[in-house]
Amino acid sequence: MTTTESDSTRVGPPPPFDPELAAALEAMPDLPTSLTADLIPALRQGTVLRDATDEELRRGGAFEVSERPVPGPHGDIPVLILKPTAATGLVGAIYYVHGGGMIMGTNRGADSTKAFDLAQELGLAVVSVDYRLAPEHPHPVPVEECYAGLVWTVEHAEELGIDPERIVIAGASAGGGLAAATTLLARDRGAPALAAQLLFCPMLDDRNESPSSRQMVGLGVWDRTANDTGWTALLGDERGGPDVSPYAAPARESDLSGLPPTYLDVGSAETFRDEVVAYASAIWAAGGNAELHVWPGGFHGFELLAPESELSRAASGPRIPWLRRVLGI
Amino acid sequence: MEDLVGRLSALDPDAGAAIKVIAYFDRLVEGRAGLEPVVRGAAVLTGCAARLVDADRGVAIRVDATGAVHPSAEPPDPAWLSAPLHPGGPPALWLERPGPAGPVEAMVLERALSAARGALARTRGPAPADDVAAVLDAAVAEPARLRAARRLGLGLAARAVALDGGRAKVLAADQPIAATRAGVGPVVPVADLPSSWAAARTALRFAAAGTEQDPGPSVVHADQLGGLAVLADAVGPGAEPVPDVQDLERARSTAPWALATLVAVATTSSLRTAAAALVVHHSTLQDRLAHVEELLGWSVRDPSGRLRLQLAIALRRLHNHH
Repeated sequence: MTTTESDSTRVGPPPPFDPELAAALEAMPDLPTSLTADLIPALRQGTVLRDATDEELRRGGAFEVSERPVPGPHGDIPVLILKPTAATGLVGAIYYVHGGGMIMGTNRGADSTKAFDLAQELGLAVVSVDYRLAPEHPHPVPVEECYAGLVWTVEHAEELGIDPERIVIAGASAGGGLAAATTLLARDRGAPALAAQLLFCPMLDDRNESPSSRQMVGLGVWDRTANDTGWTALLGDERGGPDVSPYAAPARESDLSGLPPTYLDVGSAETFRDEVVAYASAIWAAGGNAELHVWPGGFHGFELLAPESELSRAASGPRIPWLRRVLGI
Repeated sequence: MEDLVGRLSALDPDAGAAIKVIAYFDRLVEGRAGLEPVVRGAAVLTGCAARLVDADRGVAIRVDATGAVHPSAEPPDPAWLSAPLHPGGPPALWLERPGPAGPVEAMVLERALSAARGALARTRGPAPADDVAAVLDAAVAEPARLRAARRLGLGLAARAVALDGGRAKVLAADQPIAATRAGVGPVVPVADLPSSWAAARTALRFAAAGTEQDPGPSVVHADQLGGLAVLADAVGPGAEPVPDVQDLERARSTAPWALATLVAVATTSSLRTAAAALVVHHSTLQDRLAHVEELLGWSVRDPSGRLRLQLAIALRRLHNHH
């Protein structure tokens, strides 16, 4: 990470955390705010937030749980499938891309809970992709695996009980960035068609130079240093350079027309604030349909660390109505 | 629902749960969080529903263990863990779980209440008890006293009432005065309530407990004291009782009826009325008075002796009630 002389825009102090979130953050065990590459192995080992068990995924019988290997360009890609047991015909689906800074996480990690909640609430199926992680598997492996999993889902839609016309891609953090990139790939390759994209606090911009990224140095969760670590794992020396692909960093895409309805949310006190706002603005500027929520005082992943908080409750509120609207259910 | 501290302690057993609780509420206070986050903190940190009730300010908040605000019509179970907002006050914060409190619960109750006190004062204004203290305190700026008087709904004029234990009441001019031992200040414009309070406290010193040890009227109005009020300043703590007061004490210790008899004689218009008040025969009263006058060494039945008796009784109360 470098703070270059070109940071001509002066930024103010960081926006204050919401008091309840600050309290929860304070009570948390030490989370590395400024994650560096040397911490990656330890972080992958000691997952602060553990994976869901099959039993938990079944949610008292609401879902039938299975795993399938999906053939991909770099070998099999495991996908987790949650099928609503109450389904009588084809149902819509959430194709979920997990978070973890490009370097960690699984397709049944804690960040997936809110997407699985939405599926349960609306009777949708879930396909959650376990893409290979950087730095062992740099760009384009993760995004191509996400894309391959999506193609497979559409091709096997009938067998999975899924209506291929009603597939929503969703992702959180790095998964949000990969979901946005997968959506761009799908648009540019002409298939598959997506009904919507749902980007929770997505990681979109490798340049890491926005006012929010500079304001939050050393604060909260996933600061500028951690962001540099994640992007460098994915892109190596190319990070921040002139030739980064929009399929790696969707903020690099100059044309955001032709995208499905998009839902974005982010906290005001996190690294990704400005790139998420900019992405929504670019979609609107291109004539697209986007719904953006910026939750004041939210740090990155606040819903994960403080699910009981008022702000987390508020943040989950608009998603179901949005999904009902875009899916027509 | 697992509690947050339990979850965190399992992940990070080295960090003390108590430290996390303290840090949690400190941050809420620092962030000027409202009441709901404080109650939610108590609920999620302990993994059980919590409720805060401040009847004086019309506050009732209940948050369940998932953090959802969930009012309940059920009254709190007395077996639940609870703590008052102020020492000696009624329970204000409950954890809906029977005691005894573990170290985390005890810490949560303490820190949450501390945070709640601040949030209550900031968001709901001072408690009525604080407003009462303010209107009576000459050291508080007059505009603040007038605001407090408005919050108390006192109107233009009111009176202070001094009660046992230094407690105070402020009553609008037309409000009745309760029958416990009280010193009643004069009705004054609300800006002058500190003077009514001073007068009420003086009047309280002349009020009897209404017991055998301290018979007599237990509600005394300052504006009926007249010149007696001057005596109050003369009898401070440690002042030596004059011989007449010592004689009264001696009479009291000689005969259990002596003091009540003397007070009845001093406060009624005739011996017949006094006998009726004491529920004794007129002749019995005469006999008792003869006996007690011998102990005192002066007649309580002539005008000067009656005044001397009244003064001795008043002085005795001043010695007993500082």
